Amino acid sequence: MSMTDQPPLTPSFADYMDGETARVQRVQLEIIEHADRSVLRITLPDGGVPIDWPLADLRLIPDQADKKAAVLGQAGDNPARVVVSDTDLAARLTAVCPNLKRRHKDPNVLKRLAVLSAGAVASVALIIFVLVPVMADQLALMLPARGEKALGDTTFEQIRQALTENTEYGLPLCDAPDGLVALNKMLDRLNPGTDFPYEINLHVLDHEMVNAFALPGGHIVLFRGLLKDATSPEEVAGVLGHEMGHVDHRDPTRLALRSAGSVGVLGLLLGDFAGGAAVLFLTERLIQAQYSRGAEADSDTYAHALLGQVGLPTAPMGDFFLRLGGDNTDEDTSLLSHLASHPDLKGRAQAAVDADQVGEVYTPVLSVTEWRDLQNICDS
Amino acid sequence: MEIQTLQTDYAGRRWALFWLALKSSILTVLTLGFYRFWMKTRLRRFYWSAIRPGGVPLEYTGTGVEKLMGFLIAVVFMAFYIGIFNLLLMYVSFSLLNDNFAAYAMSFIGIIPIYFYAQYRARRYILARTRWRGLRFGIDPAAWAYAWRALLHWLGTILTLGILYPRQIFWLEKFRIDRTWFGRERFVQEGGWTTLLPAATHLYIGIGLSILAGVIGWFNPVGFALLGLSVPWLVIGLVHFKVQSFRILTANKRLGGAIRFHAAPRTGRVFGIYLLGNFIASMILWLGLMALVVGIVVFLAMFSQLDVFSEDFDALLDSGDAIVQFGLIGVLALLYFSVFVFWGVLNQVFVTMPLLRHYAETTSIANSHQLVLISQRPRDEFSEAEGFAEALDIGAAI
Ligand SMILES: [Zn+2]
Repeated sequence: MSMTDQPPLTPSFADYMDGETARVQRVQLEIIEHADRSVLRITLPDGGVPIDWPLADLRLIPDQADKKAAVLGQAGDNPARVVVSDTDLAARLTAVCPNLKRRHKDPNVLKRLAVLSAGAVASVALIIFVLVPVMADQLALMLPARGEKALGDTTFEQIRQALTENTEYGLPLCDAPDGLVALNKMLDRLNPGTDFPYEINLHVLDHEMVNAFALPGGHIVLFRGLLKDATSPEEVAGVLGHEMGHVDHRDPTRLALRSAGSVGVLGLLLGDFAGGAAVLFLTERLIQAQYSRGAEADSDTYAHALLGQVGLPTAPMGDFFLRLGGDNTDEDTSLLSHLASHPDLKGRAQAAVDADQVGEVYTPVLSVTEWRDLQNICDS
Repeated sequence: MEIQTLQTDYAGRRWALFWLALKSSILTVLTLGFYRFWMKTRLRRFYWSAIRPGGVPLEYTGTGVEKLMGFLIAVVFMAFYIGIFNLLLMYVSFSLLNDNFAAYAMSFIGIIPIYFYAQYRARRYILARTRWRGLRFGIDPAAWAYAWRALLHWLGTILTLGILYPRQIFWLEKFRIDRTWFGRERFVQEGGWTTLLPAATHLYIGIGLSILAGVIGWFNPVGFALLGLSVPWLVIGLVHFKVQSFRILTANKRLGGAIRFHAAPRTGRVFGIYLLGNFIASMILWLGLMALVVGIVVFLAMFSQLDVFSEDFDALLDSGDAIVQFGLIGVLALLYFSVFVFWGVLNQVFVTMPLLRHYAETTSIANSHQLVLISQRPRDEFSEAEGFAEALDIGAAI
């Protein structure tokens, strides 16, 4: 260690805390400058061995409220502190200490943060996309019919509320008497003693969307837009058969339970507990009803078999799918429609045509008058 | 033995806090909220260092990174808990009760124990990252024990319409304080819950009058008019209780064998800070907003060919011009966030800081010569920091 290059400064005093006891000691501070290793010398009042802090290791504790005092520590974990109230000394220290404001940088921190972030995202995704769905699928099969019906009733009301600004009554149900007669006739034809655990509850909602969906507990909802868009009652019958397939496979119950789980998680991430956003999200999921490709294909197959059983052609169903696909430029119908949610509409249409066992000769599901009544079910 | 007392002084300046809060709030907005962990850290460093018992500032040693990491860990746990829990609730609720009300109620109630758990964990983290005179504070891990106690106490308070509130406050404080350490020395909360009763007088009068108003109103709606008296009484009574129970609880705290505390916060002062602080903050916010709007209008009028008051301008706003629309949305979003940011900053400056200052300046430590005998405690690593509290959005200000 070489000798000092310049005369030492007049000593100043400061408060020193050793980080081992709660003692506050009045200490004498000197800056001792060596060529290779300048230090802040802390001389304790009890006359013990002075403590030397290398100037390069000195750190200023940031964001201090008292701008007149400087709180100094050492790099690393040493809890010892020097509180300098002497402004001259503080200024002198600022001038000679090179690293006063350097932050403690842990070289591994970014890596750890990256690993942790990836892990967190992966875990949350795993919970939402794997764990919750798998559990929901199991629970959906165990849910008693009455519970399923109640779940459907509640969500049906929520959907009616969500689709309209009229929050008092929700979106109106279409119930022109002649139209209802026609609707029930169609349902009776398709429902020849099928043993569902609950009755099929068929509704028409007064909305222009070309869509239909099923809810837990046997609710099936057709939109006015779909009835208007269809060119024959057999097309509607095909859609109805498809939705009955979803009911039979309990797809909506699964979806509702899955959503209940993931909505909670979403609420957590968005800071919205049991709030409105969660309910809106839930209803939107159910209307869109984006089931897996397999679930859609199964429902189509179910519809094909059902229609064949009651002597109705499946080709019109195919035509309808094709027209939905052609309509894809129309945002209102394509983006929100459960029926058009799968890109492979052409394939599904072809499958419907291939499955047709009836051909051109059959007893129409509705007469011409009844079909007109059904299309006008919302005019009352 | 000579008695030595340490007064607490307070060193923070409004402007310094204002700039710190403003800078970090803006960064928080710009980083979509991620900077908030660092913002909290920096604000705490400021506030802690402003509080100086015996002239020696407190030090906050928490970091933003550990808070972010703790948050990530907590989010995964919470996602698991809430996802599975909500799903099971929905299932049970519909299969047993055929209704989802129970599920919603339960999913709310199910969060409450986690809330208390998170509160205790956050306290543990904050104490572990607080130092004074070079020594760390700490609290024993007991978050679940605390959570169910808090749950039962709250239940008692609610069932007795608030009569048992002082009891709850005392026992929960005792639970926390008896587990709190400064270095290797333990704190003790002495006294009993009935010592808080004198402070609760006005709270009880407010509760009584409100119940009376409800009962009379049940028979004759005119009775509800009494609420005009009882509700303010209740609110002021509650503030009075908060302030004075702090005073009484502090006087009954002991550190080690002989170190005692004294606090003398004044209800009138605290209430005044709330009222005046909020008034000043909202006035500044309003004036700022008005100045901003006038500035924008003048700017548009002077530096563009647009006549703001003409129909052309309305037409331009109504037109489908994408740039105008985006510009408008941008200005509105900026305004919206500015209002929130400024409100938060002004609240720190005019409410949080003066309150802290009042509490600090009226608190002192008696028999402080005993402090020198206390030695350091080891570091509490505590990797999940206050993540649960962050995930649940508990503890707004600092
Ligand atoms: Zn489908």
